[in-house]
Amino acid sequence: MSVKFWRTPLDSEKVVKPKAEIHIIKDQCKGCGYCIQYCPKKVFEESEEINARGVHPPKIVDEKKCIICSFCTAICPDFAIYVKEKQCKDGC
Amino acid sequence: MAESNNEERLNASKSGEIPRIGVYVCHCGTNIAGSVDVKKIVEYASTLPNVVVAKDYRYLCSDPGQAIIKQDVKEFKLNRVVIAACTPTLHELTFSKCVEEVGLNRYLLTIANIREQCSWVHMHRIDEATEKAIEIVRMAVARASLLEPLKVRKVPIRKSCLIIGGGISGIQAALDLAGEGFDVYLVEKNPSIGGHMARFDKTFPTMDCSLCILSPKMADVGHNPKIELLTNSEVIDIKGYVGNFKATILKKPRYVTKDCSACGECSKVCPETAPNEFDEGLSTRHAIYIPFPQAVPSTYVIDRELCLNKEAIVCDKCMKACERKAIDFTMKPETVELEVGTIIVATGHETFDPSELEEYGYKKYANVVTGPEFERILSPTGPTEGKVVRPSDKKVPKRVAFIQCVGSRDEKTNPYCSRVCCMYATKQALLIKEKIPDAEVLIFYIDMRAFGKGYEEFYKRAQKEGIRYIRGRVAEISEDAKSKNLTVRAEDTLLGVAVEAEVDLVILSVGLVPRIETSMLSTILNLSKGSDGFLREAHPKLRPVDSLVDGVFLAGTVQGPKDIPDSVAQASAAAQKASILMSVGEAEVEAISAEINSDLCSRCLICLHICPFNALIYSEGKVEVLEALCKGCGACAAACPSKAIKMKNFTNEQILAELKGVLLGLSTGV
Repeated sequence: MSVKFWRTPLDSEKVVKPKAEIHIIKDQCKGCGYCIQYCPKKVFEESEEINARGVHPPKIVDEKKCIICSFCTAICPDFAIYVKEKQCKDGC
Repeated sequence: MAESNNEERLNASKSGEIPRIGVYVCHCGTNIAGSVDVKKIVEYASTLPNVVVAKDYRYLCSDPGQAIIKQDVKEFKLNRVVIAACTPTLHELTFSKCVEEVGLNRYLLTIANIREQCSWVHMHRIDEATEKAIEIVRMAVARASLLEPLKVRKVPIRKSCLIIGGGISGIQAALDLAGEGFDVYLVEKNPSIGGHMARFDKTFPTMDCSLCILSPKMADVGHNPKIELLTNSEVIDIKGYVGNFKATILKKPRYVTKDCSACGECSKVCPETAPNEFDEGLSTRHAIYIPFPQAVPSTYVIDRELCLNKEAIVCDKCMKACERKAIDFTMKPETVELEVGTIIVATGHETFDPSELEEYGYKKYANVVTGPEFERILSPTGPTEGKVVRPSDKKVPKRVAFIQCVGSRDEKTNPYCSRVCCMYATKQALLIKEKIPDAEVLIFYIDMRAFGKGYEEFYKRAQKEGIRYIRGRVAEISEDAKSKNLTVRAEDTLLGVAVEAEVDLVILSVGLVPRIETSMLSTILNLSKGSDGFLREAHPKLRPVDSLVDGVFLAGTVQGPKDIPDSVAQASAAAQKASILMSVGEAEVEAISAEINSDLCSRCLICLHICPFNALIYSEGKVEVLEALCKGCGACAAACPSKAIKMKNFTNEQILAELKGVLLGLSTGV
């Protein structure tokens, strides 16, 4: 399973990766940082802004990296993140 | 003093009897008698101490020759026999049986090799050769006086076989042995059995669909109650000896249980992807996948390195999609201990990586592909569903060139012929013609080798269908940066002109090379490798499936490049060889083994480290010899600083007597 292949697979166009739409309800965040720590794709990082609860909510680094595993939703103690699949008609 | 001690030993062996030696000199036609004066040896031998009778004969190995020896043993009450003839590897067994028939222990026979070690190497120098032959015989007679009878030991053979490697060879051997009623353990490193053959589209020269003929055999393996299939597993250790091997197998977890129905819903929802190894990286698979639809076992597998769930369960999409609840992330690697009587090694080959040959531009130019990659492009189950396209722009190629002997018959890479490339290139060329009738196909070759049944006809057919064979090694391939077309430059050595061809696609017919894992296995099992890295058989002609280790057999390309029919034939032969051992139920093991004198032993344990067969163990404060494992090589005895190890029938006294025999001419002063 550790073979290194150098070509782009010939069927790469057919492989559709889900496109994510991440929603952060900033003012609900208490700044625990779980989402940043546990996201397997490292989609989040701490922002510099300060929310209503006086903490730094996360911000999205690269939405394209998200593969909608929804672990952030599951792990967030304050129900402050949810992810939807982007509905694109002509490929966004 | 030492002299007289030796004399005494000469006159009476430990058993107390006075040695009565018979010396027999073989002419071997003119093989020996042509360069050595046989009569002179006989004349001389009869003057040696303890020699009662000396004779010569044209062919001692023949029935009349053996009859003379048997007759003399009875008539002259011989208790030692010296045969001056060819190498003991050839006829020691013949003469052992001969003397045993008249009640003499086979270890009281000694062979003086005066053919390979004398007549053949000193042809046309009769005087010197005769003198040397006399010395060789003198040595043998000196040693014979001190020989002791040894007991031939027998070990029981377990009626089970471990087959390592689940390609076509391993599959065939497993089915044959299971069919004969033996228990078989088939260990395969990958998640499915099938090996290289499962990846082929068609097979030459019959053009059978490869999986159509393989998958019934794979399914049989899966269903056979006599075969225990261990996929995703590797052999990490093997101990023991013929009849009684103990193998340790590491079973890596699949993370999917047997409840899997292979519906594929899990794979559809899995967000992670990687190139599929089965398609040579030309297609995409998910982290949960099945290598190919006909895989056996028909169970999905999770690539944990790719899966998001490393330490914790982060993504549970597959688990949610699985109706049968067959996904289990708590599975752990396990080690399994197996006890088997025989082992068949069928670990196969790899294909040559042509990126080291810069002139061919592999990994530099997108449209230079290897034969195995192109095989997947041709396959209806492959990345393009059998549509022939080139990688750069997925256009249908109209001009295709094959380059032969890539990594074969080349001093820079491998000197040997890989035996399959001529035919697989011809097959692939015909398939291109079938799918793209107006395509132009060129094959650049050094020599076309069509040696198998129906292969020459297959080659002729390809020529008739318009495939152009050009004799000449390709010097260089270059790429047009814009069109990604390739220019192949070679010399047509038949016409003596330079050839330059612009093509859309180049296929490198890469050869077969040994696997790295086989090297590890050969260390575990003490198997010997040839200079090419493939495992060595016990005899290239007469024992082509035996390894040099008793009870271990070789099948398929692990022993050297071969095509499918040859692999299948060798696998059946290996199964048969293993079956013979297991049917008999016991095997004779070498009686010449090490013996330890515990009173002399200082427990330095040098011998344990030096023994290449792991035949010595240290237990309860003593070094012990596992006699079934000991091959009698003598390495331990030579290394022992306390002289506590005795090699049976190669004792210091016996060897010194031999040396004395050759150096001092014993007491006769010759």
